[in-house]
Amino acid sequence: MTPPTLPQPLRRAGRRRTLLGAALAVALTASLAACSSDGSPAPSSGTASAAGPVTLEFWTWSLKGSDPAAKAIVDKYHQLNPNVTVKLSEVGGTTETASKLLAADQAGDTPDVVQIEYRGLPALVVAGAAKDITADVAGVKANVDANIWAQTTFNNQVYGVPQDIGPMVLTYRKDLFDKFGVQVPTTWEEYAKAAEQIHKKDPDAYIASFAANQLEFFAAHAAQAGAQWWSTDGSAWKVGIGSEASLKTADFWQDLVQRDLVKVEPLLTPEWNAQVNNGKILSWAAAAWAPSVIYSVAPDTAGKWESAPLPQWTKGQAAVPFLGGSTYLVPAKSKHAKEAAAFAAWLGASDEGSKLLLGLDLFPGANAGRQATLTHEPPKLMPQQKDFYQVTDQVIKNTTIPVTWGPNVNVAQTAFGDALNKAALDKSSFRAVYQATQQAVVADLQKSGYTVTQ
Amino acid sequence: MPATSAGRRTRLRAASTPWLFASPAIVLFTLFLVIPIGYAIYLSFRGFRVEGGGAFGRRVQAFVGLDNYTTALSDPEYVAGLGRVLLYGLISIPTVLGLALLFALLLDTPRVRARGFARTAIFLPYAVPGVIASLLWGFLYLPSTSPITYLARQLGAGPLDFFGFPALYFSLANIALWSGVGFNMIIIFTSLRAIPTSVYEAARIDGASELQIAWRIKIPLVAPALVLTGLFSVIGTLQLYSEPATLRPMTTTISSSWVPLMKIYQEAFSNDNLGGAAAASVVLALGILVLSLLLLRFFQRRTFGDNA
Repeated sequence: MTPPTLPQPLRRAGRRRTLLGAALAVALTASLAACSSDGSPAPSSGTASAAGPVTLEFWTWSLKGSDPAAKAIVDKYHQLNPNVTVKLSEVGGTTETASKLLAADQAGDTPDVVQIEYRGLPALVVAGAAKDITADVAGVKANVDANIWAQTTFNNQVYGVPQDIGPMVLTYRKDLFDKFGVQVPTTWEEYAKAAEQIHKKDPDAYIASFAANQLEFFAAHAAQAGAQWWSTDGSAWKVGIGSEASLKTADFWQDLVQRDLVKVEPLLTPEWNAQVNNGKILSWAAAAWAPSVIYSVAPDTAGKWESAPLPQWTKGQAAVPFLGGSTYLVPAKSKHAKEAAAFAAWLGASDEGSKLLLGLDLFPGANAGRQATLTHEPPKLMPQQKDFYQVTDQVIKNTTIPVTWGPNVNVAQTAFGDALNKAALDKSSFRAVYQATQQAVVADLQKSGYTVTQ
Repeated sequence: MPATSAGRRTRLRAASTPWLFASPAIVLFTLFLVIPIGYAIYLSFRGFRVEGGGAFGRRVQAFVGLDNYTTALSDPEYVAGLGRVLLYGLISIPTVLGLALLFALLLDTPRVRARGFARTAIFLPYAVPGVIASLLWGFLYLPSTSPITYLARQLGAGPLDFFGFPALYFSLANIALWSGVGFNMIIIFTSLRAIPTSVYEAARIDGASELQIAWRIKIPLVAPALVLTGLFSVIGTLQLYSEPATLRPMTTTISSSWVPLMKIYQEAFSNDNLGGAAAASVVLALGILVLSLLLLRFFQRRTFGDNA
């Protein structure tokens, strides 16, 4: 039905060209003269600079230069767009990437595509380091569900294309839960009971570690309880870290820590790894990416784990927020912004790109990649749990709570993590930690000149 | 008259010669020290402020006066970090220098065997980078991976907590000890070897024992080296960073701003507050400078007497 020489995504690109062209016409003026629907083969051929070969510098930790699968993705794109070569470089996680990008932005020499976790995006937007790519990626918006796309949109302007998402699940040791006769908790109340049972059966074992530096988890946990740590109210910010709903979650953890039912221990330390390997830490409430993390430190425990939907505050409810996941942004000072946005749209949101991301053990944000998970083998940690991706797919549909992040997440991160660690050690008030973080975040916003409402 | 002009030329040349010789150093000093310091001071008066209203108003750099300095000095975490560093220094500096001096004196005794081997063995840990050393010790401290804890458990003792208070300070000082003794020992040992042997011979003729020679002759004569290593240790202590930063992910007792440099790093690279980090750096640098000068003055009077 179509010429066999034309690969799949190009046909789609062709179909989208009119829409994309219309958007570009608004955004650009004279330079667009070269752009026409003359059947030029690549979606990135819209600008004059595309005439010559372009090298896109791509900062990412998901696509590692040493990984053949990542290399194949880059080569594939080059094959589809012979003018565009993508160069991978790994500069660290979200914190490192953000600070390096800000430095690069000041120096005026930025990369072209940058991977960043959703929570890091607002800070880069207000720093002016991320480009508004609403028009460039309008064509692929329909390929991504609204609750996922919303994570990259501020003030109706799109600043990123989702790469992967974190549907929240409880990943637990099925064998040990069975052995101890513990039911998989569906509410946080049951979770506390399960923690009690486990610790009673084996005094060295804990349901989970309490990792105070996991700001994102505590934000998600509070969001589930109805709190919004950051939100906008017109042109003002609202901070809800010290709100009553949020403080309720502080009380929940304080109780578990005080009764020694969770182990106060950061994640992924040699200590944590050993405890997980030895069956002394029995679960991790995180997202669908948790199994591959656990597998990387405890491959011998594969086959003993399963994942279930996250416990709820109210029995019977199912709503959760996303936890983690990241997006591709185009730096404001990228010299090849058009090509960069086209590449980001292809990798993150095209059918082909998002399926390739699944091959990297990521949970793709776009529909095609998500569809592909349903027929995908379960993660290596739980080869026996055949319905793993059915469970996560249902979780994504239930992910109706938006977690909004503010421009100073890092300020909260350090203030919160340090103070919560201290409170856990001293057995002092967790509520006070949440309230102090609230104050620190509000003070920092005000110092920068933002309006903060109560 | 030609003679005068020639004289002037010679005088001019004579005046410019030192500058000519000094110029490479001056250029390098300016490029890599004066300008960066100047820029840091400039940055310390600047901060990000919102331009244009709205929740997503852009943050731009602006002059903020002494804001960053008042914030740094009134920040309880920064001040507490200085306190932690002092406590750590009180433990680590005397032990490191004491052991370094002891080893240097032992190596310098006349009938010591395997001197070369011992010197290399003691010095070797210094060649291990601080981050690697911290990781090595970290594994030895963590309950699940530590052979020390394993042995303690086998012997019936409870699990040892190397990261509690005040054990943490000793755990950190131990890393400094392990890697720092060798370096300081070499400096003291070198200075010991520079003492003319005739001094010892005279002492022996007078009937002094080796212990007396060490106490009354060697130690007073290597005092300048001790002052030097002491100064290095004080500066190194105030700049403590890699050990706690490397151990931090392994424990909850080390906060992300545990020592001043960690606080500065955090402000600059995770809070995106270069101005605040610059101000805190300037404060720290001034503190180190003042402390070093005071120490030098104090010890100069005592060790070098009147000729200082």
